[in-house]
Amino acid sequence: MLKSKNLVPRSRLLITYLFISLIFLILLIRFAQIQLFEYKQYKKRADINSIRALPVSAPRGLILDRNGHILVDNFPTYILTASPNKVNHNNFSIISSCTGIDTSSLKSNFKRYYRGRFIPSRITKDLSFDELSCIEEHKHELRGINYSQLSERFFPANVDMSHVLGYVKEVDRSLLQNINSDLEYNVGDLIGWQGIEKQYEHLLKGEKGILYSQVDAFGREAGTVKGIENIKPLPGEDLFTTIDLGLQKYMEKLMSKFKGVSLITDPLSGQILSFVSSPDFSPEIFTGNTTLHEWRNLVNDPRKPLLNRITNGLYPPGSTFKMITAIALLEGLMIEEDEVIECSGIYQYGDRLFKCWKIRGHGKVNLDQAIAQSCNIFFYQAVQRISMNRFINLCRNFGFGIKTGIDLPTELTGLLPTRDYMNKRYTSRGWSRGHLLNMALGQGDLLVTPIQLSVYINKIATSGETFIPHFDLNKTPEPVSKIILKNQTWAKIQNYLFNTANSINGTGIAANPKINGLKVYGKTGTAQNPHGDDHAWFTGYAEKDEKMVSIVLLIENGGSGGKIAAPLASDAFEYIFYNNRDRIVNNVENSI
Amino acid sequence: MLKIAYNPSQKFPLSILFLPILLIIIGLLALFSISVNQFGVIAITAFTKQLLFMIPAIGGFLVILFIPKYIIHKYIYVAYGLILALVAVPFLLSTIAGTHRWINIGLPVAFQPSEFAKWIVVVSLARYLSDHNLEIKKFSTLIFPILIALFPATIILQQPDLGTALILLTPVFPMLYWVGSRPFHLFMILAPIFSIGTAFHTVSFTSWAIIMGIILYISRPNLIFGIVFYFVNIFLGLLAPLLWNGLRSYQQKRILTLFNPELDPLGAAYQTIQSKVAIGSGGFFGKGMGEGTQTHLKFLPVQESDFIVSVIGEEFGFITIAFMLVIFALFIMKIVNLAYHSNERFAGLVLIGIATIFLSHVFVNTAMSTGLIPVKGLPLPFISAGGSFLLSCFIMVSLIIKMGMETIE
Repeated sequence: MLKSKNLVPRSRLLITYLFISLIFLILLIRFAQIQLFEYKQYKKRADINSIRALPVSAPRGLILDRNGHILVDNFPTYILTASPNKVNHNNFSIISSCTGIDTSSLKSNFKRYYRGRFIPSRITKDLSFDELSCIEEHKHELRGINYSQLSERFFPANVDMSHVLGYVKEVDRSLLQNINSDLEYNVGDLIGWQGIEKQYEHLLKGEKGILYSQVDAFGREAGTVKGIENIKPLPGEDLFTTIDLGLQKYMEKLMSKFKGVSLITDPLSGQILSFVSSPDFSPEIFTGNTTLHEWRNLVNDPRKPLLNRITNGLYPPGSTFKMITAIALLEGLMIEEDEVIECSGIYQYGDRLFKCWKIRGHGKVNLDQAIAQSCNIFFYQAVQRISMNRFINLCRNFGFGIKTGIDLPTELTGLLPTRDYMNKRYTSRGWSRGHLLNMALGQGDLLVTPIQLSVYINKIATSGETFIPHFDLNKTPEPVSKIILKNQTWAKIQNYLFNTANSINGTGIAANPKINGLKVYGKTGTAQNPHGDDHAWFTGYAEKDEKMVSIVLLIENGGSGGKIAAPLASDAFEYIFYNNRDRIVNNVENSI
Repeated sequence: MLKIAYNPSQKFPLSILFLPILLIIIGLLALFSISVNQFGVIAITAFTKQLLFMIPAIGGFLVILFIPKYIIHKYIYVAYGLILALVAVPFLLSTIAGTHRWINIGLPVAFQPSEFAKWIVVVSLARYLSDHNLEIKKFSTLIFPILIALFPATIILQQPDLGTALILLTPVFPMLYWVGSRPFHLFMILAPIFSIGTAFHTVSFTSWAIIMGIILYISRPNLIFGIVFYFVNIFLGLLAPLLWNGLRSYQQKRILTLFNPELDPLGAAYQTIQSKVAIGSGGFFGKGMGEGTQTHLKFLPVQESDFIVSVIGEEFGFITIAFMLVIFALFIMKIVNLAYHSNERFAGLVLIGIATIFLSHVFVNTAMSTGLIPVKGLPLPFISAGGSFLLSCFIMVSLIIKMGMETIE
């Protein structure tokens, strides 16, 4: 079959050739007709009939406080763009004379935003109305120059909290290659770069639209295009945060004199009511025309305003850490409640001398008094009954050495010195149980972040039933990792903290604003710090009518926790609970 | 390597390779120009993709080249059965781009089995028609070959992909003609299609009626048969618009969508206009690479595949278009020439079938881009971007070389 002879008459070949030639002749004639004879007509149409697809950026979602006050808003500004294929370099000098911006920076912007020969590139922004009308007057000379609107972030609430809000950044060409996201970006788009703006980018971003318009040879718009639907931008979603604007402002004002931290949360929901890392800076520094000088000042400021001290500051927790030892002792039934230890103000362990902050000593103290009066000697001795591993495990159960899971992009884990860590750092012979003695007092190698301390106090306040701290008001709170202790242990610890803030000798008495029906609990800390004066700590919580808030206060190099930090806590509690100000917490209840 | 697989005394018509290579270069230049202004994922442009697609295409080319001709002849019906199953497979899978054309093979690119159906159908037809015992002069003999092509075409039409379905059907008639069918028989089959097709346009229909009369007069069939045939056709043509208007609008729409899946009344015309403006404004020499304002600003949605001619026309001008058309014409005629000189009917038929496939692709694509025929998505061989199609084209070139091989003595 394969060998069937192929006998095709020559006429058939010729007819086939003729047919093929005919087809190609038709095509050739058609192209000649369009490209040669009707060339002028089509050329004209190509010049005047061009359609421009302008991306319409979607407004970013707003960021609001828990009561709907706007924290971050959008503000429209005008930007000027140049189409690379049409622009003439003389244009830049005209624009320069209109806007007062020198041509070299216009040109460098032009290069920075360049995306292709036919795509308008941005040359300047924040045009005033006068500048716009000047450009409009020169419109006939400025081919390929167009202006359009762009939204920028602005901050009507007059609070700093830039560590929380974060900022947005314009995507430029170098950034575009490094963005690792499933969302789409183009040069000139805004992208959340820090804080909530980054964390909730997927929510806030929205989707861009496209506006098709018919433009003539001079780039003037000549109406809409038939047959193509414009694509409407989809605005980003608004984000309601758990922040209370009033409380935030109040705490920012209280903290403005200090370097440190104030963090107020609701232990019953994990919601963050106020978040102050001081010194702060205005979030507006990232928008508008911040000069390089201002920016350098901020970066080089020795007080480190750019550091988010709550999630990224590392501190020794000092005496606020003593509850760990107390809980370990109570859980292990290693101490009787009425057992007393003599504090003479000094304690010798091996060849080292450990001192109490009270030089004369506390005399005979039990566990309750040891916490309330923050006796060091008691804990130096008592902690020796606990194994290192047990102690470290308990620390970890309270969230030290691990991230809390707060909804911010960055957070440090702190340093929880385990046996392995100590062996590596000091070799196995280089350290002793003396280090554990230091750790019981929240000193030594131990470092925590204030947000970890907040989770720790919230766990104590709720007997372990608290939630991960968060800013998104509409998020269902996620419970923290489980910690199971005897009910009795929780009750005793809570009682000790109550005494600290209520008994005459209690170190935390200054944190109690003494409001009817308000129960205040807390623990002070005065953490020694190798780099300078002691850090003053207060961590505690207050409850009234089943409403609860907790607070973590740190004043860097502030000195005594009881004298410096505790009174600030009292102010905060007073603001929240006094004179029906407890609406904040009411609100918490309603929103859960 | 080639010498191991083949008897060195046989000569390859390798010179024919020169023409597709020129076409590929034109295509890559056009794709490069499009890609220059493409931003987004860096390095993955139509151009770089097409370069990557060369690898499987050359692989397919070599594989087919190394399969002996008698093996192809022997197993082509098996391949035919397989491809029938494969074109049906996408119906069981989720749609890609709203159609059932592609099979996702776990790669970033999907696989389009209907591309391979084109040449498998041609080779199957060639085998069937090269049978000694075929009484080719009888009208009834034509039915079975038509069914061979019609069956996969019907499945592909449901995908829906009218373009490929039509391409599958076109080789049947030239192949029948080549093997010696009576042209009048072919005319009888095609006439009703023309009658209905031209019925919506008065001038076309009148011309068609005249042409039909002339052909009947020349062919001189039985007088009564001739008259009946003529009037049945005229009647069909007159009836068609009436039937069409009798349909409800959603039914009309459904039929139109079947014939043109991308149909959108403003959109189709809009694409043609944009394409014509782009090509026309290119003039004789074109605007230069990367300078095509129409190409780069406009919304020819498939400018890298179906509307690649607009890019070439605008940027490289009439001179390049003419050059390209001449190369296509030479290429297709060369295939026909090989078919004529082939001493085997099977090989000759395969060559004729492949020539038809190339010719119809070139015609439909360029005629559509210049507004001669309605918008019908078909790529331009060797030039349009697309992996499956490129592979298919390379395989067909491989078949040309293989079938043309023994003809040169």
